Amino acid sequence: MLKGADIVLKCLRAEGVELVFGYPGGAIMPLYDALEGSGVRHILTRHEQGAVFAAEGYARVTGEVGVAMATSGPGATNLVTGIADAKMDSVPLVCITGQVRSALIGTDAFQETDVFGVTLSLTKWSRLVRSIDEIPEAIAEGFHWARSGRPGPVVIDIPTDLLKAKKDFSGPAKFTPHARPADAKAEGGFTETDLTEKIVALLQQSSKPVGLVGAGAKLSGAIPELRRLLDDLNIPTFATVHGLGAVPPESPYYLGMVGMHGTRAANMALHETDLLLVFGARLDDRVTGDPTRFAPYAKIVHFEIDPAQLDRVRPCELPVIGNLADTIPAFHDGLRKIPTSRKTAETWGTRLPDFSEWRAVACGDARAELDPRGLAQPTIRFLDELFSRLPQESVVVADVGQHQMWAAQRYRSSSPRGFITSGGLGAMGFALPAAVGVQLAKPGTCVLCVSGDGGFQMNIQELATVHRLGLPVKMVIIDNKYLGMVRQWQQLFYQRNYAETDLSDNPDFVEIAKAYKIHSFRLNEDAMREFPVSTETGDQIDRFLRSPEPELLVFDCAPEANVFPMVPAGAALSEMLLEEEPSQ
Amino acid sequence: MQSFYIRYRNTQGTLMRILNAASRRALDLPSVQAEPAGHDHQVTLALEVNQKQVGQLYREWHSIADVIKVSSGMEPAAEWTGAHPPVAVVVSEDSRASARA
Repeated sequence: MLKGADIVLKCLRAEGVELVFGYPGGAIMPLYDALEGSGVRHILTRHEQGAVFAAEGYARVTGEVGVAMATSGPGATNLVTGIADAKMDSVPLVCITGQVRSALIGTDAFQETDVFGVTLSLTKWSRLVRSIDEIPEAIAEGFHWARSGRPGPVVIDIPTDLLKAKKDFSGPAKFTPHARPADAKAEGGFTETDLTEKIVALLQQSSKPVGLVGAGAKLSGAIPELRRLLDDLNIPTFATVHGLGAVPPESPYYLGMVGMHGTRAANMALHETDLLLVFGARLDDRVTGDPTRFAPYAKIVHFEIDPAQLDRVRPCELPVIGNLADTIPAFHDGLRKIPTSRKTAETWGTRLPDFSEWRAVACGDARAELDPRGLAQPTIRFLDELFSRLPQESVVVADVGQHQMWAAQRYRSSSPRGFITSGGLGAMGFALPAAVGVQLAKPGTCVLCVSGDGGFQMNIQELATVHRLGLPVKMVIIDNKYLGMVRQWQQLFYQRNYAETDLSDNPDFVEIAKAYKIHSFRLNEDAMREFPVSTETGDQIDRFLRSPEPELLVFDCAPEANVFPMVPAGAALSEMLLEEEPSQ
Repeated sequence: MQSFYIRYRNTQGTLMRILNAASRRALDLPSVQAEPAGHDHQVTLALEVNQKQVGQLYREWHSIADVIKVSSGMEPAAEWTGAHPPVAVVVSEDSRASARA
């Protein structure tokens, strides 16, 4: 006979779970009571949101399912932002929540919340467990849905009495999904030749083809296959923020990041193209700008695992539904067999004469385009210095805001899971706890957490987690004493009415870190006025990145530095702002 | 007004997820009828929707874990069959134009 809590932990182990992130409380106490000796290591964060973001960080960097635990009521509702984040960014996540005991459900008992209902629209699948017998099936099915297809979040809510109850346990369950009628029909309809011929025909008709790489390329594990295909296609290619690292920046056809703060080269190529090959990207509004004017001359071939993502903003001429690990090699194999006049970047050269100059911004050292007034130059240089000195295979975890976009613009690694951020939901406070999860998943790796002064304070309590575990996370705060991205919008679109974005009374982050017994120091912009930086500053940055201890570096940023280029909300990608215009 | 027929396994939350796909788009639900249908269940919805929403709803319903089949009173050519992987589908100019609208 085993308790329900023991069964949960045995089932987690059967799913390969070694690490869970959480915060204890009343209803989930039986599960915590059973942790010791279970083979599952629990990481105590200092807030449930920290736990779920840490689980996300773990999942994003490994591709494995991240697991977060919380108690009923406020514990569970504190997970909600992370669950929404995992849904938007396709992160495999299982959240296990304690619930009030079965007899009290529906009575508004102490710390009772309808977590199943609250998270229904945010989860891929969820279950309120009704008997101890259901626990193994619920966990097996939950992990199946979290991992399968387009990965996503799952919630398993277990009343506390079921965690304490006992039963004979015959072993973890296995889940086999029911086949749908449409699935069976599709098996016979799959023809690689038809597919390839259609795409090749579109390529041959095209004079300006481009490729767009999104998160799906990483999630599918098809990066080597994708890179081989792109090398053969040799067409201008760019990435979404989640596609960064999928294409080596040194690739001659790579144009950097696309979208609201994408490079001019990428956005203009996307506006001009007559054939867009999309590899695992949702094409959300941050990528497309005004959807009615997105890639207005293009036909779209969309490689995508989730049919629900197709035709959201623009119908595509050719949806290629399936795991990119299957569809890309299938297409590439077919492509090799069909004689075709290859479309190359040179074709584009006649159309975009300054193409190579623009590429220097996207992939080289050119910085001027990113900051016409010069206010952001020291910060951009600082990030360039940091990134250029990072050890191989480092992971950058960015929070949300201006620093996130500067970091994305300057990220130069070809590590597919090397740039992690909250992209779809844009959840401030993500980076520090996510970096905890990344560091635990990759103990020997340099993990650089880049945050703003606003976002860092949203989960600043996780400094305690970093300290307790001795995680050598390298934390950087780009401190402009504003909610910078909101302030930038206020400057550009709200006549400089800086309503409630002033953070000039920020605490002293260096002293706060010291209170958590974490070494910290400040670097001001003057250190970056000289470029390349002085030996002293360079050594300081090197020592920071290579220290075996956690460390915080606060970088003072000009308060009114802005991120450019910028596509205003509702504008077409071709209508990028390259400097302050509207209310100047 | 358009009628939709969604066949699903009656597992926890599946009907709510189906309805949520409509309510998150602020669509009124003037008629909802859910009932057993053989080994499964079927819900019939009457919704006032435009062509773009039809496509979105079909895809979203079909991505719900325990939804088996989605159909409607629409022309068969516009229905989402959810085939995978990978089957090429050519979108008609009409639906393209309406989605752009």
